[in-house]
Amino acid sequence: MLSAPLVLAASFAYLLLLFGVAHFADARARAGRSMISNAWVYTLSMGVYCTAWTYFGSVGRAASSGLWFLPIYLGPTLAMLLAWPVLRKMIRIARQYRITSIADFIASRYGKSRGLAALVTVIALVGILPYVALQLKAIASGYALLTTGPGAAHAGGPWWRDSTLYFALALAGFTIAFGTRHLDTSERHEGMVAAIALESVVKLLAFMAVGVFVCWGLFDSPGEIFAQAAARADLQPLLGLGGTGGDARFAGGQWFALTLLAMLSVIFLPRQFQVMVVENVDERHVKRASWAFPLYLLLINLFVLPIALGGLLHFASVGQGGADPETFVLSLPLANGAHGLALVAFIGGLSAATGMIIVEAIAVSTMVSNDLVMPLLLRLRGRHDARDLSGTPLAVRRVVIVALLLLGYLYFRIAGEAYALVSIGLISFAAVAQFAPALLGGMFWKGGTRAGALAGLGAGFALWVYTLMLPSIAKSGWLPTPFLHDGPFGLALLRPEQLLGLTGLDNLTHALLWSLLVNTGLYVAVSLARAPSAREAAQALLFVDVFARTGRGAAAAPVFWRGRANVAVLQQLAVRFLGVEAAQRLFADVARQRGAGRIEAVAADAQLVQLVETQLAGAIGSASAHAVVAAVVDEEPLAPADILRMLDEASQVRAANRQLESLDKLKDDFMSSVTHELRTPLTSIRAFAELMRDDPAMDVAQRQQFIGLIVAEAERLSRLVNQVLDMAKIESGHGDWRNQAIDLRELIAHALSTTREAFRERGASVTVEQPEAVPLLHADRDRLLQVLLNLLSNALKFVPAGHGRVIVRLTTDARAATIEVSDNGPGIAPEQQPQVFEKFRQGGEANNRPQGTGLGLPISRQIVEHLGGRIWLQSRPGQGACFGFDLPWHPEEKHA
Amino acid sequence: MSDKLRNQRLIALFAAGWLALNFPLLTLWDRGVSVAGLPLLPTAVFCGWAALIGLAAWITEAPGGDD
Repeated sequence: MLSAPLVLAASFAYLLLLFGVAHFADARARAGRSMISNAWVYTLSMGVYCTAWTYFGSVGRAASSGLWFLPIYLGPTLAMLLAWPVLRKMIRIARQYRITSIADFIASRYGKSRGLAALVTVIALVGILPYVALQLKAIASGYALLTTGPGAAHAGGPWWRDSTLYFALALAGFTIAFGTRHLDTSERHEGMVAAIALESVVKLLAFMAVGVFVCWGLFDSPGEIFAQAAARADLQPLLGLGGTGGDARFAGGQWFALTLLAMLSVIFLPRQFQVMVVENVDERHVKRASWAFPLYLLLINLFVLPIALGGLLHFASVGQGGADPETFVLSLPLANGAHGLALVAFIGGLSAATGMIIVEAIAVSTMVSNDLVMPLLLRLRGRHDARDLSGTPLAVRRVVIVALLLLGYLYFRIAGEAYALVSIGLISFAAVAQFAPALLGGMFWKGGTRAGALAGLGAGFALWVYTLMLPSIAKSGWLPTPFLHDGPFGLALLRPEQLLGLTGLDNLTHALLWSLLVNTGLYVAVSLARAPSAREAAQALLFVDVFARTGRGAAAAPVFWRGRANVAVLQQLAVRFLGVEAAQRLFADVARQRGAGRIEAVAADAQLVQLVETQLAGAIGSASAHAVVAAVVDEEPLAPADILRMLDEASQVRAANRQLESLDKLKDDFMSSVTHELRTPLTSIRAFAELMRDDPAMDVAQRQQFIGLIVAEAERLSRLVNQVLDMAKIESGHGDWRNQAIDLRELIAHALSTTREAFRERGASVTVEQPEAVPLLHADRDRLLQVLLNLLSNALKFVPAGHGRVIVRLTTDARAATIEVSDNGPGIAPEQQPQVFEKFRQGGEANNRPQGTGLGLPISRQIVEHLGGRIWLQSRPGQGACFGFDLPWHPEEKHA
Repeated sequence: MSDKLRNQRLIALFAAGWLALNFPLLTLWDRGVSVAGLPLLPTAVFCGWAALIGLAAWITEAPGGDD
């Protein structure tokens, strides 16, 4: 035996340690150095799955049915294998739309339905409350065992002397301190998560310590335990798969059902959703958790069977065959004088129980406050009441936490040792499993509707109550049992545990089969009965395609909203629910992002309305947030066609944005290349002018030479400026076009005479191939000359110095005249060819570009296309380039 | 490894684990034999479980992917 003050002191010291860790982590978080931004901490926080029910109950279950404790942990292992595809999507959705609870998640998916949110909350509450009571019972009976010895059941006694009550209140205090410190619209609680991670370590180590003590302290090795058990006829079946109750056949259906149930629970229990989705800091942590959390489960289960068998063998050998296997973890060390270990084991159990209670209380209080209490309050106060409510959600949550723990305590006091508590873990699991069709369906199927979700959840919950909850209450003696055996009103078909005469299944498998079957069936059938409304369709898109709409490369999510709003009113609303400071910060951020000096200058567009609604959703839930925002803005109803159009617009805007970005970059490049080009002649002009200024005695010949250079450079400058202006003019369609009859042979001769000097300097030869006579072409002579000169000077730039060869070829046919200019330069690589006619892009290697504006070819293309022709490039690297263009005799006859 | 491949591997592993740790394959191990002093069935279940975890670690911790 241990003295009561010692156990109490150790327990409260442990709680104080938790306070300390949580406080430290909160302080670190405020300083910007998060402790929980770590995949290991994230994994450990998931360990909140293992409650006192695991810690004490697994051994009890193993002692009665062998390996049948395992499906509860194999299910989560399998579920975690799908965490990367599935859980990550939940996290992304929750983050994107500020979803802070499982009720909010489901309600938000189906058009922000208040009714659905309330239903999910009620299911969670009804399912979870007994589970909280179970944790308190574990603490109470563990305490009783340590201080008064085995066999002394919970002493009862007056409630004010019951230490369990004070534990419950202390836990409420802890939860309030670290779960409702401030209204954070992302609902993260760093301190709480750090404390939970620590609890996971404590319970694992404590349980393993007991395992080691049993295996190697009480016995020589695990092998010895198993050998002794195998020799005993009553224990031998525990090493096989023989079902519960001495049935030798393996009940594969029940094993399957338990695995499935645990698989769903590990995601949908409110506390799991809280730590896995809401408290997740970085979705990449999911990767580590998807194998490390199963490893945690494996480790905590490793010694369950040895402890169970060891306990049965040990207590049978000392003549205490009736010892309660559920307390072996405590009673085995205690009976063998290892008092310190017994205390450690108790602290481990305490950590399992408190972890569950704290996280569950935070999760449930968020749901009850957002989805039950706040909607009622808002309705009572009226929609246009402008009183400050920013403190209300927190106050409501605190009250709910205290109420939840007191209710749990009350349930424990009333139910005591009843059947209802023993099986309550699995009954809770079955309740939250009802969320699966609506939630998973909603994440991967766009067709699910609010009506379908309501019908499925409602029917599933009703069947759960009828086939599982009511029978467990009846077996506890609180309801007359005849309706179990004979059915209500003697209708045998309606017997709760053999519904419609379905027999051969245990009650849990039976209940799970019916409730999930009807739940899923109604969800699908009712959803398919009519097309989703616009709001449902919009939310479906946002959820199902969340990866396409967020993350790298994606623009902001499309906003499905249309109507009129007023900034001042939105601001007032934010102040009312978020508080003055947070609201000011929010709107100041918006003003800064939009480049508006004052908040009033910001347009109250769909984006702003959406932003305010999302922020409010973090504080009061998406359904309530939608309702209060809808009350102050003038929303126009949307039709499904509008949704498609808005989606389309969003993607068009995205494409246009991308185009603008690349144009912007081109413009920058162009500006820098133009400035560079302008600077070179300017520098020479200035240098020559300065030389002449500083040397008044300079002789006339020298002076003349410098002035000649200055004039040439100035001409180069104006040519450049003209080209840029020209380009702009042609582009905008304001160019002057003076069309006249042109002889192309004469035009080519003119162009060649203009460039003759340049060709001679570079040592290049020009050959002309043309017919004897060509018809006259009606076009702008100067512009055409410009094209020809561009192509010639282009060819000249690339031909090898000294032995360049350029061929100008003129051909005609009935439709058009064609001019080609080919050279024997290096040619142009195929991947660069499409770009040469684009503005501001020059051919050639980046570091070996000839001088020029990069505008010659684009301008030529504009001119040729204006005249109804086409310009092209044929080139293979190493074999020269051939630019050609054709000009139709009659441009108005367009050829497709 | 791309996320697409990673997801397919995880789904395949999920299917394999679901089959291996369920009826009827599980009954293959229910033979009342001992391996190194430990009963076959619990040993096999825990070994299969550990193998599943090992494979999951190998798949998820491989570099690459993320969006």
